[in-house]
Amino acid sequence: MLKVENLKAYYQTEMYGVSRNVRAVDGVSLELQKNEVYGIAGESSCGKTTLIRTLFGAFDPPLRVVEGTVTYSLDGESVDVTKIQGERLRQIRWKQVSYILQGSMSLLNPVRKIRKTFWDFTRAHEPITDAEKFEAMARNHLNRLGLPAQVLDSYPHQLSGGMKQRVAIALATLFEPKVILADEPTTALDVIVQRGVLQLLKRIQRETQSTLVIVTHDMGIHANIADRVAIMYAGRIVEEGRVKHIFGDPLHPYTKHLIESLPKIGDKSTRTSIPGAPPNLGDPPPGCRFHPRCPYAEPICRRESPHLAAVANDRRVACFLVTTKENAHVS
Amino acid sequence: MSSTFLRYIAQRVVQCILVIFIGITITFLVPRFSPTDPVEAAVNRAMMMGQYSHPDAVRMMKEALTKMYGLDGTLGQQYIRFWKGLLSGDLGPSLSSFPKPVMSLIRTSLPWTAGLLLVSAIISWTVGNLLGCLAGYFGNQRWSQVIGMIAMALHPIPYYIMAFVLLVALAYVIPVFPIGGAVDIGLKPSLGWIYISSLLRHAFLPALSLVLIGVGGWFIGMRTLVTNVVAEDYVTYAKYAGVSDRTIMYQYVMKNALLPQITGLAMQIGLIFNGALITEYVFSYPGLGYLAYNAIFTGDYSLIMGVAIFSIVGVSLAVLLIDLAYPLFDPRVKYQ
Ligand SMILES: Nc1ncnc2c1ncn2[C@@H]1O[C@H](COP(=O)(O)OP(=O)(O)OP(=O)(O)O)[C@@H](O)[C@H]1O
Ligand code: SF4
Ligand SMILES: [Mg+2]
Repeated sequence: MLKVENLKAYYQTEMYGVSRNVRAVDGVSLELQKNEVYGIAGESSCGKTTLIRTLFGAFDPPLRVVEGTVTYSLDGESVDVTKIQGERLRQIRWKQVSYILQGSMSLLNPVRKIRKTFWDFTRAHEPITDAEKFEAMARNHLNRLGLPAQVLDSYPHQLSGGMKQRVAIALATLFEPKVILADEPTTALDVIVQRGVLQLLKRIQRETQSTLVIVTHDMGIHANIADRVAIMYAGRIVEEGRVKHIFGDPLHPYTKHLIESLPKIGDKSTRTSIPGAPPNLGDPPPGCRFHPRCPYAEPICRRESPHLAAVANDRRVACFLVTTKENAHVS
Repeated sequence: MSSTFLRYIAQRVVQCILVIFIGITITFLVPRFSPTDPVEAAVNRAMMMGQYSHPDAVRMMKEALTKMYGLDGTLGQQYIRFWKGLLSGDLGPSLSSFPKPVMSLIRTSLPWTAGLLLVSAIISWTVGNLLGCLAGYFGNQRWSQVIGMIAMALHPIPYYIMAFVLLVALAYVIPVFPIGGAVDIGLKPSLGWIYISSLLRHAFLPALSLVLIGVGGWFIGMRTLVTNVVAEDYVTYAKYAGVSDRTIMYQYVMKNALLPQITGLAMQIGLIFNGALITEYVFSYPGLGYLAYNAIFTGDYSLIMGVAIFSIVGVSLAVLLIDLAYPLFDPRVKYQ
């Protein structure tokens, strides 16, 4: 469905003549299958949103693709969204690939009725010949998602946070896209509402057999909804695998830390947090980017950067600790 | 209609009435506590004109003036009498155009000011916001930066300088427009082309001087607002969804960015009004400003008070109107 190869996307800013590169996505490779839920995890500002933006081909300055490809296979045709622009990109968006932006509370125009917004989003891709047909289509779509048709008559401020997010999801799925990119779709919502929104996303994904990419720093949500999970650290994927493997047997030290910091029922011990802060992506450390915070760091980690290497079926890790051991094991 | 909407209206109306009441009361008090006694001043002026006056005549004149100004009796009695007169539309006679009532002078001047003000306020608000919106939306384009620079240069110019420069340039040096007045002398009001064109030609320069400065201010404000709204999530979301640029600019960006500008208009009305008064004087435009200038020049107290009262009422009502119209543009205020 989608293949990303060695993708590097930097924010290139210039201030007082000094140019600066924020290497928010720095050599990411991944492959997504049809009909799967792919989770992307990692702490704040590790580049999750930037990665998902590049998957959508949204390179508004100062974000620029420096290297790599993002290739969709759509109806038997390969399309690299880092290479196309304008009308061609517009045709792919929403009909094939939809993107629900981070910030569920503010995705809807506050001075426009939801019906009008539906109208705008629909007309962007299909001519509306008949107002009645449009109305029927909109109601039908909401119905299918289990949302009341009255929301069409509302302004955003009249809806609850959960309903706003559901409406944003409804807008993103108007044309049954093959890939849905959802950035922190539940972050601002309380736990009960979160569950409803996730169920909605999951249901749409199952019914349309689409690929759902869900970004959140909340490991609990990945455990619930994802088939596979990628852990990002400082602009790179450090580990990727099936959800049960990631949670059952985390290999990368950073993943281990993330899993251990999850609250467990009946566990009253305080969570240990790794010392130090995530690196500045304008000037990341050499070698393994995690080494300043890694309890297992060895001299090689400071010099060389570990590749994201396959260690088993559907399992990739970027850590010398794991890859050398595995290699030793294999040989 | 929900009760919050009614409360919104009631609140604004009460506020407006309060402002008018306080403003008029201050207008009443100022001449009574000012160090120059209006009666004394009027008598002195009459004496200076060289008229011989018998002390008795002077005393009678003083009494008559005191009565005419409503300065006899206690302050409380004066105040009640003042409101009674005001509510029945009587502001006393004007001293400079004696015995013409102040009310009739104002009645002939008011339409000129209202017309000039309304037209130039609407034009500058519309043009300034439209240009500001375009400039904010297409911020990195050359023309938008050029307009920005012009607006920045125009905006801080005081009204009277702008008026004076235009007058000298386009009425004296290149005499394309008349130097003053509202219509050619001797023309009878009618709906015919001769009258209308004369009216427009006379109004053009005063209006232009108000518009040029006004446009600059609205432009600068709107450009900033639009650059902020463009970065909002709902704009990005609509853009990513492929909604047309036109729809995004008008329905997503402009409609949201305009909201503070509507409130801004209410706050600016007073300032525009003052600007219009000065402009009228420079162009000898026979509106309230011209009237006020003459009243001050001749020490015509009742006329000054009359103009002041009408300014307060006019500006307050305009602000009220804008406030009441605001919920039509912002759905979040109407219900809730
Ligand atoms: N427009 C921008 N210009 C410059 N740097 C940016 C810009 N947007 C993001 N960045 C930087 O890029 C890095 C990655 O940001 P990104 O938003 O992708 O992180 P994230 O993982 O989505 O974080 P969060 O969980 O807080 O949403 C951060 O260091 C951020 O400061
Ligand atoms: S490569 Fe080295 S520093 Fe990096 S995570 Fe593995 S052990 Fe730690
Ligand atoms: Mg993010």
